[in-house]
Amino acid sequence: MSGRVIVITSGKGGVGKTTASANIGVALANTGASVCLVDMDIGLRNLDILMGLENRVVYNLVDVVEERCKLRQALVKDKRMPNLNLLPAAQTRDKTAVDADQMKKLCEELKSMFDFVLIDSPAGIESGFQNAIAGAEEAIVITTPEMSAVRDADRIIGLLEARKDEITQYRLVLNRIRPKMVANADMMGVDDVLEILSIKLLGVVPEDEDIIISTNKGEPVSGTDNTRSGLAFRNIARRLRGEEVPFMDLDAKTDTWVTKIVNFFNPVRV
Amino acid sequence: MSKIAIISQPDQGVLIDVGGCASMQEAVSHLSSTLQVSSQFWKGVNVALNLGDLELTSTQVAHILALAKGVGVYPYQVFAQQPLTRGALLEHGVVLGDGKPMTLPAMTIKVPENPQDEDWVDESVNVDEESTVTVFYEPSENQLITEDVQQDGPEIQVDFEPKEEAPAPAQAEKPSKSAKTKEKLEGSVHAGVMYLRQTLRSGQSVSHQGHLVIIGDVNPGAEVVAEGDITVWGALRGIARAGVGGNNDAEIRALRLQPIQIRIGESFARSPDKNRLHYDNHHGPETARVVDGKIKVFKFNPQF
Repeated sequence: MSGRVIVITSGKGGVGKTTASANIGVALANTGASVCLVDMDIGLRNLDILMGLENRVVYNLVDVVEERCKLRQALVKDKRMPNLNLLPAAQTRDKTAVDADQMKKLCEELKSMFDFVLIDSPAGIESGFQNAIAGAEEAIVITTPEMSAVRDADRIIGLLEARKDEITQYRLVLNRIRPKMVANADMMGVDDVLEILSIKLLGVVPEDEDIIISTNKGEPVSGTDNTRSGLAFRNIARRLRGEEVPFMDLDAKTDTWVTKIVNFFNPVRV
Repeated sequence: MSKIAIISQPDQGVLIDVGGCASMQEAVSHLSSTLQVSSQFWKGVNVALNLGDLELTSTQVAHILALAKGVGVYPYQVFAQQPLTRGALLEHGVVLGDGKPMTLPAMTIKVPENPQDEDWVDESVNVDEESTVTVFYEPSENQLITEDVQQDGPEIQVDFEPKEEAPAPAQAEKPSKSAKTKEKLEGSVHAGVMYLRQTLRSGQSVSHQGHLVIIGDVNPGAEVVAEGDITVWGALRGIARAGVGGNNDAEIRALRLQPIQIRIGESFARSPDKNRLHYDNHHGPETARVVDGKIKVFKFNPQF
């Protein structure tokens, strides 16, 4: 088996890399693919918390790289889906604990075991980011519709373009968009962001309070049926698998009394 | 970052420099990887040590010296800038160097990041009466948690009705147990108790070869490791590993025992899968120990 190694990155912190990694991972696993999530944010590990697997972590990525354990021993199986695995980061070390060559080797090994290897990159463009993209063949760039996040995403895309030979495909996920603010011209819309970044769009995820609840619970929203953001992440997973899925209609949603009633009876409208 | 450098005066030998390290933890890990590069390397070499601005207590200095001794290195001179460290070194009868060490910069050798590349474990050096010098917990094959255990380890019972004190049989075993513990600790290079008056935050880690006492909290994401018991005068919310090296009689106790994971000897337990937004529910001081191969939590009984 030769799987796909996809790095999830953003440049800016706090735009939702880890949330997206967890949700896309869960959504991909729901489609039946075998998935391994790799937390590369060594020293600031969070992915295990979002997945609700913190209490099951015994070994971590650094233990594998330094050969204190076998790769299989470090993989934490998800409690809901057996085809979803997590390779947690070390919390008591820092970014210098691994290097690019070690990551390449690790990704090669994971690729042979899983259909999808999703690498959650740390924020920044320094060694942590460089290690995260070292073994990747595709990239998902996450941004929010804010000037600063878009600026940083642009920088990241530039760095990814410089590695065209290794990273053959990079697509954008626009996270935390608020259709109402876009309609009022208070926020950049999908078109505005694409105008600047001019890369292929993989998905649009609306701002959703359910994300906060799911983060605290350790249950990614894409595993549950009735959330807007969860549906968005499931669509992203389907597009990653090559399906043609139309983008959500996020235009001009100023609430009228008609839409309010429709929303009331159909809360999962996206 | 640790460095090996040649001292500038002729015939002065080699300097191991861990002065650039930010913490005791880091210094010890660099030092152990430097020292264990090769067993033959240090034979007949004059070695000096630079601790730079590290603030180390007497216990920590003893630790470092034990580590060096384990591979046959007896530093003839140690450089340190902090008064606390210098005092501690004098206590252990170490010759202090004057000021900062002078080295030949051109000869600076960077120690490989990954000690596995070199002959990391040399049987002839490590396997003798000094074999306990390995400060950090190196899980060996027989200590590995199997995949089954990792997935479905027994849940720590802190969130259930706490049980009353252990039944009589467990108490009866007590005397032999403490004797055994004592024997084990006396056999290690640096036994005894390490006190730490500090709250350990996420990412911080402390390990000790004897008993470990933390006056403060151990937050989620922090890790405490000891060959003996672990006592936390505060809330234990991170990971605790007591009895590392196979001492199943070790105990973990805390004023608030709310860990993510604990391990005692070869036993393993994890917290229940539930929302951990609030930590206000607790049962008062509790002790975790191994009963019939499983970790159980008991209300703390001072007479015990």
